Amino acid sequence: MITMDVNGTRREVADSRRNLLSYLRFDLGLTGSKYGCGEGLCGACTVLVDGQPLRACLATTGSVAGGRVTTIEGLADGDTLHPVQQAFVDESAAQCGYCIPGFVMSAAALLNRTPHPDAGQVREALSENMCRCGTYPRIEQAVMRASGATE
Amino acid sequence: MTAASTPGLTIKGAAALGLPLPQTGYARQAYGNVSPDFGPATWLTIAPDGAVTVFAGKVEYGQGIRWGLGIAAAEELGIEHTAVAVVLGDTASTPWDIGTFGSQSTRHTGVQVRRAAATARQALLELASARLDLPLDQLACKGGAIASLADPSRSLTFAALLSGHAIEREIAADTPLKAPADFEIMGTDRRRLDVIERVTGRAVYSQDVLRPGMLFARVVRPPAFGATLARIDDSVASRMPGVHSVVQHEDLIAVLADTDQHADAALDVLETEWTEREGNVSQWDLPGLLAENSRDPVTTQEAGDVEAALARAAHQLEATYYVPYIPTAPMEPRAAVAEWDGDSVTVWAGTQRPFGTRGEIATAFGIDESQVRVIAPEIGGGFGGKSIYRPAMEAARLARVAGRPVRVAYSRGEEMMWATFRPAALITIRSGFDGDGRITAWDYHAVHTTTDRPMIGQRGSETPYAVDDVRCVVSAGPAPLKPGSYRSLGCAVNHFAREVHIDEIAAALGIDPVEFRLRNLPDPRYRRVLEVAAEQFGWKTAAAPSGRGVGVAIGLDVGSYAAECVAIDVQGKEIVVERVSSALDCGLVFNPEGARSQMEGAIVMGLGSSLFEAAEFENGRLLNGSFARYRVPRINQTPKIGVALVGADANPSTGAGEPGIVPIAPAIANALFDRTSQRVRELPLQRSL
Repeated sequence: MITMDVNGTRREVADSRRNLLSYLRFDLGLTGSKYGCGEGLCGACTVLVDGQPLRACLATTGSVAGGRVTTIEGLADGDTLHPVQQAFVDESAAQCGYCIPGFVMSAAALLNRTPHPDAGQVREALSENMCRCGTYPRIEQAVMRASGATE
Repeated sequence: MTAASTPGLTIKGAAALGLPLPQTGYARQAYGNVSPDFGPATWLTIAPDGAVTVFAGKVEYGQGIRWGLGIAAAEELGIEHTAVAVVLGDTASTPWDIGTFGSQSTRHTGVQVRRAAATARQALLELASARLDLPLDQLACKGGAIASLADPSRSLTFAALLSGHAIEREIAADTPLKAPADFEIMGTDRRRLDVIERVTGRAVYSQDVLRPGMLFARVVRPPAFGATLARIDDSVASRMPGVHSVVQHEDLIAVLADTDQHADAALDVLETEWTEREGNVSQWDLPGLLAENSRDPVTTQEAGDVEAALARAAHQLEATYYVPYIPTAPMEPRAAVAEWDGDSVTVWAGTQRPFGTRGEIATAFGIDESQVRVIAPEIGGGFGGKSIYRPAMEAARLARVAGRPVRVAYSRGEEMMWATFRPAALITIRSGFDGDGRITAWDYHAVHTTTDRPMIGQRGSETPYAVDDVRCVVSAGPAPLKPGSYRSLGCAVNHFAREVHIDEIAAALGIDPVEFRLRNLPDPRYRRVLEVAAEQFGWKTAAAPSGRGVGVAIGLDVGSYAAECVAIDVQGKEIVVERVSSALDCGLVFNPEGARSQMEGAIVMGLGSSLFEAAEFENGRLLNGSFARYRVPRINQTPKIGVALVGADANPSTGAGEPGIVPIAPAIANALFDRTSQRVRELPLQRSL
């Protein structure tokens, strides 16, 4: 039996080989983290583990044992959206939206380590997340807005 | 007004909207047996508490229809669009709809929602007129209330007006709509409605639907297209822990298990042998096959005598262009959950055609359509490709056999290989032109890979340039991969050939490519988008190749005009698109932010098919069916994109989702020639570097 913290709730997991994304989505019902490729290449499944971004589709529950896992459902502070979430809303930065939780988590991780990135750093940090609708210009604007660079 | 059983106000109307127009007539051919339910359906309700809800059979797959319909209803009712709830794509509660494709949503459904909201406004005005004892023309509908124009303090909210009432009204075809001059919401920038659900993870997609007692399925797919099962041994797989059963139901074989991982593990040990089809065509064989095996030619434009005009032309040019198959590769691999209750079934499926899917399932099981409910949740991208949606039927069949809810969710590899592909095409153009820069002959022959859909390649095959002697013919060619819909479909393919060829003529004559187009382009709406895009770009007149790396192309699709100017650089074997200036005329714009967002998205998506996307296949296998092998545009390759909306309010609203992708590939190809003097007539362009 391993334990982890998921969005502030202590969880006990019997199977340490359980795929982390499947565990979050199907066992806990936290379906905000998405399956896109299963190879860690599209970023739709990005969660934070102890504040660092992780591709949940490539991880097992055992690999994050004892860790503090934050999913998109746990990013807001109650009814107050995280600044990155609010900026995506303000910039209408979503089309189909399937990739957006992954982008929001990757951007939140970026702003944790680099609070005031320039546009190049934003593009670099998010270049491993995919969006097929081509929302990239608005996503970039939203992350710049969240960093306080623009109004 | 008639009394209704539902409290509040209910607006009903015919559901026969959005039937395919000539531009998208392929839909009728493609989906055949559409059975429109013409009975009146509920389009809009206002509950006794004043809450406004719109119902439409369209689905949301990124294009922002919820946003657009919210704005449409809000305008007519004088409320904020954020106060409008929009229910989409549920066969049990929304009006019948042919499907969400061909940029029909705003054009037809948007107008019907405006009529529904205007009908509701009229009903509310009449209620208020009686209560306030004022004539209709002295009342205004605004802010969720009806108020006296003379004395705004005399006002009744929607809730106050509807309390204790149950009223039903039908939409009249001649319902007066607000004039564009009076718009307060339409045409202004409004925040997208459904982003909060998307940034919090609350939005539910078909991959996210989980039902009590649900089994996870893995369908057994052949290793190659056209392979048939020769032998199967499930003796180990069926006894694996967590496995419910291995289902063999006619041509459908699947593992059903308690979890996704148990299903995957059982699939791994399931022993199968396959008989592969002989004579599979590889990607390398396809251009030659199309050249030699065209059939069923359809003439899409003809005037004068093109052969005679070619013979007497001062200059002639002949060139052949090739566009390969590409997968749509949406972010969400398709998924469906089916749950039976007796002889009735509910299917959650991210299909672009919930009503068509309902009919297919009813037919397959020999039950009435009323026994089938299809719910399309949020759809994680479709771009046309989710019009054909196999997991819905697979889940319904497996759930019937298992007697429990079943989830069929495609892996990325299944989504790439077992969905449909934008058809490949081989296009030959012979043109004649004079020394003054006038086109005098135009002979266009396109062969599009197609199975039974001759319409598939006709869209956009006509030339908009003035030429007296013209012949445009579209033929069908062999289709080794299953062709299906795609953003703008054959229109973008046809435009690639035509707009590159136009550039070749301009270069041969030493005329600036914008100037050359304007000399030959009579349609004022076309001229305007070209002029605006060139102006926004800061186009400086020069014949190509100028060494600068600038290119231009125009396009017309689903009734909307687009022009794009691009600036590129070449770094090794990479084409770097630095900026794009675009102009769009889609008539009256409901939602300018929505239209701009669709243009940006279409341009970014088009970068992929222009630069590096193509389906690679050999021996019946897709060779690049994963994101490790299939490259798509990323944020750090995204150019600066400008979008100018130039449509006139007097023109009807036409689509904004597709036209943006039409000019991008030829504009980049033309910019590549301008930069390097290398003329590339084949997509994706980077293969030729």
